[in-house]
Amino acid sequence: MPGVAIKDLARHYGGVAAVDGLSLDVKPGELVALLGPSGCGKTTTLRLVAGFLKPESGEIWVGDRCLSSPSAVVPPERRRMAMIFQSYALWPHMTVAQNVAYGLRFKRGLPRAEREKKVGEILRVVQLAGYEARYPGELSGGQQQRVAVARALVVEPEILLLDEPLSNLDANLREEMRFEIRRLHEEFAITTLYVTHDQGEAMVISDRIAVLERGRVAQIGTADELFHQPRTRFVAEFIGKTNLVDGMAVKPDAIAHGPLTFRVASDTLVPGAHVALSIRPHHIELVAPNAPKEDGVNILQGSIERASFLGETVDYQVAVKDSDLVVRVAAPAVARLRPGGLVGLRIPRAACVVLAEG
Amino acid sequence: MSVSTHRRASGATLRGRLEGVDRSLPVWVATALAIVALMALPLAWLGYMSVGAEQGTTFGHYREVFRDEALRKALWHTLVLAFWTGLVSVALGAPLAWLTARTNVPGKKLIRALVMASFVTPPFLGAFAWVMLAGPNAGLLNRMWRDLTGATDPLLDIFTMSGLVFVVTMYTFPYVYIMLANTLALIASDLEDAAAIHGAGRLGVALTITLPLVAPAIVSGFILAVLQALALFGSPAILALPAGFHTITTQVWSFFHFPPKVEQAAAVSIPLLLATALLLLMQKRLLGRRGYATVGGKGGQRRTIALGIWRYPALAAVFVVMAGSIFLPYAVLAKAAFARAWAQPLTWSNVTLANFTFTLFEYSSTKAAILNTVELGLATATMGAGLAALLSYVTNRRLVVGHQLVAFLALAPVVIPGVVLAVALFIAYTRPPFVLYGTLAILFVAYLTKEMPVGYAQSDATFRSIPPDLEEAGRILGAGRLRVLRDVTAPLARSGIIAAWCFIFIGVIRELSASIILFTPNTRVMSVVIFDLKEEGQFGAIAVLGLAMLAMTFATVSVVQAALGRDVLGVKE
Amino acid sequence: MIRRILSLTGLVALMLAVAVPVLAQDARVEAAKKEGKVVWYTSLVLPSAEKVAKLFEAAYPGVKVEVHRTGSERILQRVMQELTANIKNADVVHTSDAGHFVFLKDKKLLMPYTPAGVDKFPPGFKDKDGYYFGLRATVTAIFYNTKLMSAAEAPKTWKDLLDPKWKGKLVTAHPSYSGVVATHVLALEKQYGWDYFKQLGQNKLMIVQSAADTPTTVVSGERIVAVNGGEYSAYQLKKKGNPIEIIYPKEGVPLIVSPTAITSFAPHPNAAKLFTDFTFTREIQQVMADSEGLYTGHPDVKYPTDKPKLGDLKLLSADAEELQKRNEEIKKRFVEFFGA
Repeated sequence: MPGVAIKDLARHYGGVAAVDGLSLDVKPGELVALLGPSGCGKTTTLRLVAGFLKPESGEIWVGDRCLSSPSAVVPPERRRMAMIFQSYALWPHMTVAQNVAYGLRFKRGLPRAEREKKVGEILRVVQLAGYEARYPGELSGGQQQRVAVARALVVEPEILLLDEPLSNLDANLREEMRFEIRRLHEEFAITTLYVTHDQGEAMVISDRIAVLERGRVAQIGTADELFHQPRTRFVAEFIGKTNLVDGMAVKPDAIAHGPLTFRVASDTLVPGAHVALSIRPHHIELVAPNAPKEDGVNILQGSIERASFLGETVDYQVAVKDSDLVVRVAAPAVARLRPGGLVGLRIPRAACVVLAEG
Repeated sequence: MSVSTHRRASGATLRGRLEGVDRSLPVWVATALAIVALMALPLAWLGYMSVGAEQGTTFGHYREVFRDEALRKALWHTLVLAFWTGLVSVALGAPLAWLTARTNVPGKKLIRALVMASFVTPPFLGAFAWVMLAGPNAGLLNRMWRDLTGATDPLLDIFTMSGLVFVVTMYTFPYVYIMLANTLALIASDLEDAAAIHGAGRLGVALTITLPLVAPAIVSGFILAVLQALALFGSPAILALPAGFHTITTQVWSFFHFPPKVEQAAAVSIPLLLATALLLLMQKRLLGRRGYATVGGKGGQRRTIALGIWRYPALAAVFVVMAGSIFLPYAVLAKAAFARAWAQPLTWSNVTLANFTFTLFEYSSTKAAILNTVELGLATATMGAGLAALLSYVTNRRLVVGHQLVAFLALAPVVIPGVVLAVALFIAYTRPPFVLYGTLAILFVAYLTKEMPVGYAQSDATFRSIPPDLEEAGRILGAGRLRVLRDVTAPLARSGIIAAWCFIFIGVIRELSASIILFTPNTRVMSVVIFDLKEEGQFGAIAVLGLAMLAMTFATVSVVQAALGRDVLGVKE
Repeated sequence: MIRRILSLTGLVALMLAVAVPVLAQDARVEAAKKEGKVVWYTSLVLPSAEKVAKLFEAAYPGVKVEVHRTGSERILQRVMQELTANIKNADVVHTSDAGHFVFLKDKKLLMPYTPAGVDKFPPGFKDKDGYYFGLRATVTAIFYNTKLMSAAEAPKTWKDLLDPKWKGKLVTAHPSYSGVVATHVLALEKQYGWDYFKQLGQNKLMIVQSAADTPTTVVSGERIVAVNGGEYSAYQLKKKGNPIEIIYPKEGVPLIVSPTAITSFAPHPNAAKLFTDFTFTREIQQVMADSEGLYTGHPDVKYPTDKPKLGDLKLLSADAEELQKRNEEIKKRFVEFFGA
């Protein structure tokens, strides 16, 4: 089971760089999600890996085979990969069984009976036994999705590529399929690249997430790492909601924003440097005004501008006193505070993550 | 799983390079080169011939041509014909489109079927029929008019410019209809409702919303009609020549009379070519601007306008137009086919099958001509649909460098009037390296070139509707490009390609303007035989052959409709 | 080697032909049969041409006649156009424009061949060098529709047609199509000058192509009077009971002798000779006179009694050489005066 190594990949579209110096290592058997907003180059990257596009520079390796380089691209049919498309790309003129069996036609020396057996098995795995003779047009969206999955898995690819496979499903089904895909990955352990713009999906499904920004990997890591230690403003904002505070380092472990001072989760700042902080809304606690100071905790004063009830939590917008800052706080919905009320904001030092600003 | 796990990295790179060769590439390149060759050779010769002199180059031919009073007149007549044809086509086609797309006029299906019929009727047959209907003295309509009113002057004189415009329009208004009906069918009523809610009255909505939205379609329909009129040969030859005037196309044709003046024909052809190219460019710009996306909106509701007491008068008006293009011409053709003397009433003594026996059994050219026509139709449609499919596949999937040029060349023949194409082909293929004149091959090449835009446009639309995903899914599972083309694309494109085949076939069997210059006695086709018979005044035989041609056309049309699941005019109601 | 054998065979064949004429006739039929067909480019109106072809095929089973009928001028156009592409298709060429044969002879495109029995024909039917011979003749005349006009009102002379009262009522055929009309135009031009046609043009004539189409136009009633046209076509229509009458102006009627010749490049030379001989037999010449209403050069042919004898008509003739020289001028002037 090989992994995938992408080295310094670049590809332009009409003068615009879609992929611009992207490097990524996927370990054997690992599922890596490529996450980013539209236009970040994630789909282009996937299509480069699949061999549908030729890179302008850089290389793509699978194990010890160099599959793509500016001088040569192994065509898709000889890359030993499989792909699940956003549209599922099921062939409307073939039955479910024919769709699934298609890739097996190209496995030399596979007897017909064996082929049929494999198709039956994989359809059972995706819970579509008994649908062999149906046409894709006669299936629901979720079932079509399963056919696409079966078609990709049955060929036992070295690499599996998924391009936003869940985006055409309704919300409930999507949730269900996330777990299904994760389950299948754990069962088959195929090295997988998974493209999505949905951070929740990426977090559930993947071993690691590569956040893509303007054709490069901004940060790669587990969901936990990305959430708690975002390295850039972009990653911080893209993974979950956050409050960003710009400031200047005044001590190795503190920054100033106007008259306010924040103690931060770092003690290696160079005084005078411009830095940015990311503070997750649920790390801020609302306390009574004029709460006592504590060590290692930032206490600010503010007034509530708006309170939105979201069910389990209430989303507050709080204007910080003596400052232009408006921070968002996610507080339990137990006590409801009204707009206009004065509050204290309790922000532990560890919640103030310093971003490596780019 | 991987066999090459133990190979050295450099070895793998080399292997990758070898694996990287796309084995289907020669097919695409050959396809692209075929269209380049098909287009470039004749046009290059045409241009060269128009400036060629004994030594070096000259503009003498152009000077000669444009100094000639008769030619200037012919040019003027062509402009008048084209302009009025465009205008009247809009005046007829636009209301018809509106009626069937937006109102509750009765018999919509029938109306569409009739518009379709006039769309596929060979215009020269219509012109010929109208000679029998509205010849100033012998024309049946004029005779009835005289009998009814006692007038001495004819009601209609078909041998005039207005008569010519009328007959040509009868078979070109469907172009406006198609453009407009397809556009109207896409404008959701909510666009109009939005204006109404902001306070616009009924007329206001029509003027500020609907009209501007359909204006590009109307203008482009106008341009298409003008292009048709510019390129037409048969109708002017049948109606203008007896009246003593030429159009450019008949003039080009007469340059081939002995002694031939091919250089002058080339010199007239080039400006005609440029004029049509310019018109088409205008049409393209017109349609390209202003977000057609709004028009392409997703099926919002379209309300039908209740005509009230005007329903049946509207239908009657439609039938009047259809009488001009279908009912009367078809009836008079049928009459002529069964009559001893077409101008006499169809009494028992005047009924005969002699026209059929003469045309089908005694006249030795008929059988050969029908055979040639069918042979050429089958060959051109098959080759054309195949080539068009490959070409549109190449351009849609961007398989070769310069695919835009390929698309351009495939559509380029639209701007080449049949006679011009024929002049170019005549020059190109009467001399080495390719001497095709005198064989069916030159007609085949002419038809293939001429029908390429129709076939290409149809297959292009077909491939556009097939998402590339479906092919990529096959590729990544191990099928090569050609294999995917066979397993996935071809089955999905089948009905679209059958339709392209039929469109080409219909185009071929009615083709006259290029054939009339390129045929030789051994390679006569039906349209040419009809034209020859016209020159000799054999009305009965023409009617018989004309009916045969119509029968072939409508049989093909029904195949298209079955393949597409809709009529040939465009979007479904 | 092979060539030598071939030429030897040819020599033997020739010797046989000279020695035994009957055998030669048979040998020629055999040779024609081997060729299988003869390609006839003809301006004889279509039904008549098909009839001659059918008669020949009945007389010589196994030899087909491929009839390619169009206007005389178109025939020359096609022959020449084909030659530019090096296509050799036509065996026998027959048009109503004697000038064509002068032209073709000059270009060395004709084979000298004297059909059997033409020595008795009058001199007007024979080329002095033996390349082409008049297969048939007709005159051009004025025709009018008897239902739409009385004999008293009808024009009597060529000049009568210039009267403005005929405006919109006349029809003419086209010299760019019809050799009969090309000859007619030259004959009348020599009589009256181009001025005649210039004035005639003022009457807004309807223009058809074939000289056979002017009488049909008159019969249909589309125009009342034809200012020219093949008299034989009008005669056939009249005989079938159509309302048409023929007027032979007293000033004289142009005589059109339509020659026939075998091409020098004929792909079926034996069949061509057989066919040409056949068309000059008394039987076929008589058919042309009887059912087609043509005149011929054959002295033994009897003519229908309801037709004037050629000798009773004053004939205007056009010289073939002149016809050839002024071919382009005729067409150009016609277009100038009549529009198209």
